[in-house]
Amino acid sequence: MPDNSQIKQASSRFWKRLRRLPLTLYLGGTLVTLFVAVALTSFVWTPYPPSKLNLTNRLAPPGSPGFLLGTDRAGRDVVTELMLGARNSLYVSVVSTVIAVFIGVVIGLSIAGSRQIVQGPLTRLVDVGLALPGILTALVLATKFGPSNNTATLAIIIWQVPVAARVIIGPARQILALDYVEAAYGYGRTKSFVLRRHVLPNIGPLLIVLSSVMFAAAILIEAALAYLTVGVQPPTSSWGRFLNETQSLLEAAPYLMFFPGVAIVLTALGFNLLGDGLRTVLDPQQSRSGVS
Amino acid sequence: MTSLVDVKNMFFHYPRARISSGGSSWTLQDISLTIDLQSTVGIVGESGSGKSTLVRVMCGLLRHQQGFVKFNGKEISEFKEDGANDLRRQNQIVFQNPRRSLDPRMTIRRSLSEPIRALQDRIPDDEELVASIERVGLGREVLTRFPHQLSGGQLQRIGIARSLSVNPTILYADEPVSSLDVSIQAQVLNLLMDLREQLGLTLVMVSHDLGVVSRMCEEIIVMREGQVVESGRTESVLSNPSSEYTAALLKAARAASLERMTGD
Amino acid sequence: MLQLRNLCVTIDGHEIINIDRLDLEPGDRLGLVGESGSGKTMTAKAIAGLLPNEAKVSGSVTFDGRDLLTLSDRELAKVRGKRIGFVFQDPSRSLNPMMRIGKQVSESIRIHTKLKGDAVTAKVIDLLRQVQLPNPETLIRRYPHQLSGGQQQRVMIAAAIAGDPELLIADEPTTALDVTVQEEILRLLISLSEQRKMGLLFVSHDLGVIRFVCNQVAVIYGGNIVESGRMEEIIDRPMHRYTAALLAANPGMPKDNNFSTFIGKRLQTITGSVPAVGKFPSGCRFRNRCQHVTESCSTTPPVATSGADHRYLCWNPSGEDAK
Repeated sequence: MPDNSQIKQASSRFWKRLRRLPLTLYLGGTLVTLFVAVALTSFVWTPYPPSKLNLTNRLAPPGSPGFLLGTDRAGRDVVTELMLGARNSLYVSVVSTVIAVFIGVVIGLSIAGSRQIVQGPLTRLVDVGLALPGILTALVLATKFGPSNNTATLAIIIWQVPVAARVIIGPARQILALDYVEAAYGYGRTKSFVLRRHVLPNIGPLLIVLSSVMFAAAILIEAALAYLTVGVQPPTSSWGRFLNETQSLLEAAPYLMFFPGVAIVLTALGFNLLGDGLRTVLDPQQSRSGVS
Repeated sequence: MTSLVDVKNMFFHYPRARISSGGSSWTLQDISLTIDLQSTVGIVGESGSGKSTLVRVMCGLLRHQQGFVKFNGKEISEFKEDGANDLRRQNQIVFQNPRRSLDPRMTIRRSLSEPIRALQDRIPDDEELVASIERVGLGREVLTRFPHQLSGGQLQRIGIARSLSVNPTILYADEPVSSLDVSIQAQVLNLLMDLREQLGLTLVMVSHDLGVVSRMCEEIIVMREGQVVESGRTESVLSNPSSEYTAALLKAARAASLERMTGD
Repeated sequence: MLQLRNLCVTIDGHEIINIDRLDLEPGDRLGLVGESGSGKTMTAKAIAGLLPNEAKVSGSVTFDGRDLLTLSDRELAKVRGKRIGFVFQDPSRSLNPMMRIGKQVSESIRIHTKLKGDAVTAKVIDLLRQVQLPNPETLIRRYPHQLSGGQQQRVMIAAAIAGDPELLIADEPTTALDVTVQEEILRLLISLSEQRKMGLLFVSHDLGVIRFVCNQVAVIYGGNIVESGRMEEIIDRPMHRYTAALLAANPGMPKDNNFSTFIGKRLQTITGSVPAVGKFPSGCRFRNRCQHVTESCSTTPPVATSGADHRYLCWNPSGEDAK
């Protein structure tokens, strides 16, 4: 049984390590948690029912009784719209990021493990994918499949897969050149085993950081597509479309655009900061007091 | 003596090797040599001599383009499927940098059991692993550790234990002690000598250090720029080198070494 | 010329180095030999003033009458390069891959001498010649990657002696080089030291190399100089048990072609390994690994001497055994 002094020691070490964590991790973590909390809460409660119109109370300014942040031009409560928009962003970004990372990893690892002769051309193919203009792709998809959340999700995936693959290829190749991989071949492991059990775990931290950055991108892209009305359609709420609607209200209610705008920025920023903080924490180069 | 590995007129180059400034694009040129069963062979040479590459071709990790490399009388590129596994099992390598030859994310227990898992398709039980680790002079407590928690010397012993876990016939050691301190180097070299006697291993050791090779190896192969310059019994080659290059290596090695009357 | 007295370096509460005394006379070549974790590189850094910011230093490092530890950064920068030159282990990491060789050496000259313009180029060529590089005129236009390891190290040495220093500190300068190249570089260092009456502090883990180059040696273990004195004296009659063990563990080369007596002979090992920082035992730092440990070893051994200049810190030295 650990005695009291050992418990005290262990917990003071824990707090010491918490204090050492970078600021970006805290800031990012807070913003992301806030975002997720708001989005999830919207499933069980919003100040007003979704899409409840208050035609008598249109464009109420913030602070109006019953409407903390006011209402939009159809009388919908801003807070409710923000919460529902968060839900939509969360859905799209989670689905698209998870799928894009998965496909990107498979492609990246396959290319890293392929033979020398084909590696170059295949990597160039990925580069072509990177060069594809994302918004145009989204517009084309919208024309073919009609604008919707799924179209937006698909567009984001097509946009992001080359990013993930490109990021993975370099580090994966480096690991493949390491001694312990050569040792694995030496005792009979196949390349596929090596990719799955040696390379993948060792790029784990990289993947975590990559995912947070891709989340941020997904938030922005979803908002952009909704803004261009090729994303999710009414009555489903979206920050991007909300932002679009406020454009025409610049004279009547100029303050309105800040709400969706700030929501988008803070959420994307949160994921970026989180990614940055995670990178600092997970970077194995971080030595405590390395002395030689 | 029966020859275990037989190499004749072997040429090798890396897949995309293109040397532009004159010179050959072959990393290994016209190599012919034999390794006898249970012998100890040292391969010496400077950087660029191809000694590390030679070892990888001989044990089958790299495929030669010309000539033949035979293991137990059979050309190694003809070992297929089960035979390929057996070839791997009988030819094991210990690498230079112990810290880099172990996956930092795997426990020692896992790393140690990898060859058996891969080549014998089973998971070794604890008894086996403990016996393996004790044979190289370490205790069972290292099994639960990760590489970053152990010293270079300990990791190199683990690397040796790992390669011996499948009872190979021939152990190739690529500069096994170069990255270790002198006192640890002595421990690991003694260990290799002991294990070799206990297990009747054939030991092929690559080293740039003539002093180490003159202790460990009865036979010696001197390499330079991808070719074998000289080979034979260590005693004869080093006391009476027939090539100028070997003589130059010796002179330089002597200059920067401590001279001793006897090996004790 | 160089005197270390009571040099104590502490990092994070742990004592990394504690050297009571180390001397280097003008023209001496002093080898500082130790394994990894011994503190030898830290000692060189302490002399150079290149310790990490968290390090707390006390004691004195007197160079030509001035205590380097008391100098400001600016004054120290003037000493570095001009009066003390440095050569490090891996030349490919110390040379700027984007800069031509000539330019890198000339930078050193410009900083430490008053030469300008053509005189600088002439001096670069002269220095490259002094380090025995062929065709210096063409070499100055080359980039580092076009040179071999040995040539790169010669360039580093040229840059280090550009300011005509009185002392050259070399930290494992030949460890990354082939053995034939190593011999050439070591001979170069010896001849430069002799011709210029330049002191040499040679830090290495390799006793064979140190014996070739140096006439004085200091053995460092756990941050302490456990033995120091003249080279041949220490090799022939090592007093400290660690020195003796280090000598015994060295593979060495057979004298007089006695190869047959070497084959298959086990090396004498030192049990255990160098403890991590802060985990050294009290008293004599080597006592947990020493075969000849006695009760008194749990207290710090006093400085003992054997003849002129031979100092060691051992309660039970090897010189006392019948040989």
